[in-house]
Amino acid sequence: MPADAPPSSEEATDDRPVAIRTSDLTKRYGDDVLAVDALDLTVYAGEIFGFLGPNGAGKSTTIDVIMDYVRPSAGSVTVLGHDAQAETRAVHERVGILPDGYGLYERLTGRKNLEYAVELKGTGDDIDALLDRVGLESAAADRAVGGYSKGMTQRLALAIALVGDPDVLILDEPSSGLDPNGVRLVREIARDHADRGKTVFFSSHILSQVEAVCDRVAILDRGRLVAVDTIAGLRAALDAGSTVTLTVDAVPDRLTLGEVAGVDDVAVDDRTIRVRVGEAAAKVDVIDRVRDDGAAVLDVTIAESSLEDLFSAYTGGSSPNRDGPDAAGPVAADADGGTR
Amino acid sequence: MTASGIRLTIARKEFGDALRSRVVWGIVAVIAVMSSLSAALPLLVPEAGGGPEAAIGGASQFAGLLVPIMSLLAAYLSIVGERESGSLKMLLGLPPSRGEVLVGKFLGRGGAVVVGIASGFAISGVITAALYGELPVAAFLATTALTVLLAVSFLGIAVGISALTATRSRAMTLAITAYLGLTLLWDLAPNGVHLLVTGELPGTALPPWFLLVRGLSPTGAYNALVQRTLLGGAATDAALGGPSPAYLDPAVFLAVLLVWGALPLVVGYGGFRRADLS
Repeated sequence: MPADAPPSSEEATDDRPVAIRTSDLTKRYGDDVLAVDALDLTVYAGEIFGFLGPNGAGKSTTIDVIMDYVRPSAGSVTVLGHDAQAETRAVHERVGILPDGYGLYERLTGRKNLEYAVELKGTGDDIDALLDRVGLESAAADRAVGGYSKGMTQRLALAIALVGDPDVLILDEPSSGLDPNGVRLVREIARDHADRGKTVFFSSHILSQVEAVCDRVAILDRGRLVAVDTIAGLRAALDAGSTVTLTVDAVPDRLTLGEVAGVDDVAVDDRTIRVRVGEAAAKVDVIDRVRDDGAAVLDVTIAESSLEDLFSAYTGGSSPNRDGPDAAGPVAADADGGTR
Repeated sequence: MTASGIRLTIARKEFGDALRSRVVWGIVAVIAVMSSLSAALPLLVPEAGGGPEAAIGGASQFAGLLVPIMSLLAAYLSIVGERESGSLKMLLGLPPSRGEVLVGKFLGRGGAVVVGIASGFAISGVITAALYGELPVAAFLATTALTVLLAVSFLGIAVGISALTATRSRAMTLAITAYLGLTLLWDLAPNGVHLLVTGELPGTALPPWFLLVRGLSPTGAYNALVQRTLLGGAATDAALGGPSPAYLDPAVFLAVLLVWGALPLVVGYGGFRRADLS
């Protein structure tokens, strides 16, 4: 699975096989809508890659180009070394997609829908095994899809994406319409897929889902890439660690917490000590040190800085669950999922 | 899977969909009833005269008006319907290319329409034979084949429209426009041209170009070919008041039918291939 694309500066430091690479990818709609703006993104084989951003950030447009639903205005995309636009067949034989704004054949049963996909992909999958994997019961699979709930439809679409055990699984907002069990199922499927050496590209505007499952995350805002890192790396980069709050019988006169490695800030208020730490290991050290200094610890609470905080910091304060681009600049517009 | 395998898989599904949605049965029923009725008409109104040939001619008159509607109805949503529902994203996310989808749709829906028309004609053929005690088999089969060709021609137009448009409503507008323009208006066009050129409406002796213009629409070409099949070349000569020129050869009208089937498909594919399906 070699990457045929010319080496970029990033590849010079990392020669793992590449699953998806976008190079200077730009997509304009008309004159004033810039849905994706010079996006350079590399997803390595075998990782679960989170693609995060508010609605309308350009996530679905990027996936649309990866799948050749839409043609780029500039730049290019390769999937497993194949050009997404010129070698569509080669790409689609090895990719499974749960697209944004998809539909199924409502007059056909779930089983027929799935059989059609298996036949077109020529992979000979066991239909019942696929249904079982996404938690669709046999009785439900024999009913027409027109009567399905959103969650059942989503499960069936997920089963179609899994046809042929694709090397790259692209999931665009896979958890929408699913109950908590379904959300967990999506995570399990993503992990299971990655455990077998395959790649998962997981797009979402819901932070907790990406946080829970992804090895690395890209944050997209108004068509531009604003960050790519591991969740831990993003936290560290933002200096947004945890806050340990201790309730003590009496604050010692001589508090030596500032000497503990990993402690960034200490604040004392009455019988409460708030300590901001940048490293996980420092939390226990903080408690030990307060005891050593002579205080009895009555209570401890630890607050992780949420990914929401992180996200807001990166996207200039725009709330991650925001539906419309009303607070966004002139270029974000509705070219992406925001219209649906 | 091979490209032709993919096209056939899509075609088979489209054919099955058409059977399930009763499009085919509708076509069978309409064709059988209308052409049987028109076959019976000369018997009910004896003054009109004529034998089974006239009956087939009457049936073809109906077919010329109805078959285009059936083809358009059977296929004008074939691609744009999936585009609007989003199932096209699932389909194109699988190995099929846009061209294979287009060809598969054309073959599958075409197969359904052809089966419907052939079955409808078979029924009316039996009825015609029963009413008259005889059936000019060659003329009957030729008319059936020509009707199938007319259906395929409008099917190309319908699939082309469906590939070219982004919404159902736009596809419907174009389909209605195509029907009115090609089936009804085109029939009047030669009269208008005649009026403009000569200052009067056409009389008993028609200029040869008049027949050519009238035969340049799919329905016009179909009518010209059916007339030729049932009445022979002499009828054309009589209408013209002399021998007909080479450009009124049946091969020309056959070509017209085929071009009307193929050209919209090609144009539709050109637009579909480049379209952003977001």
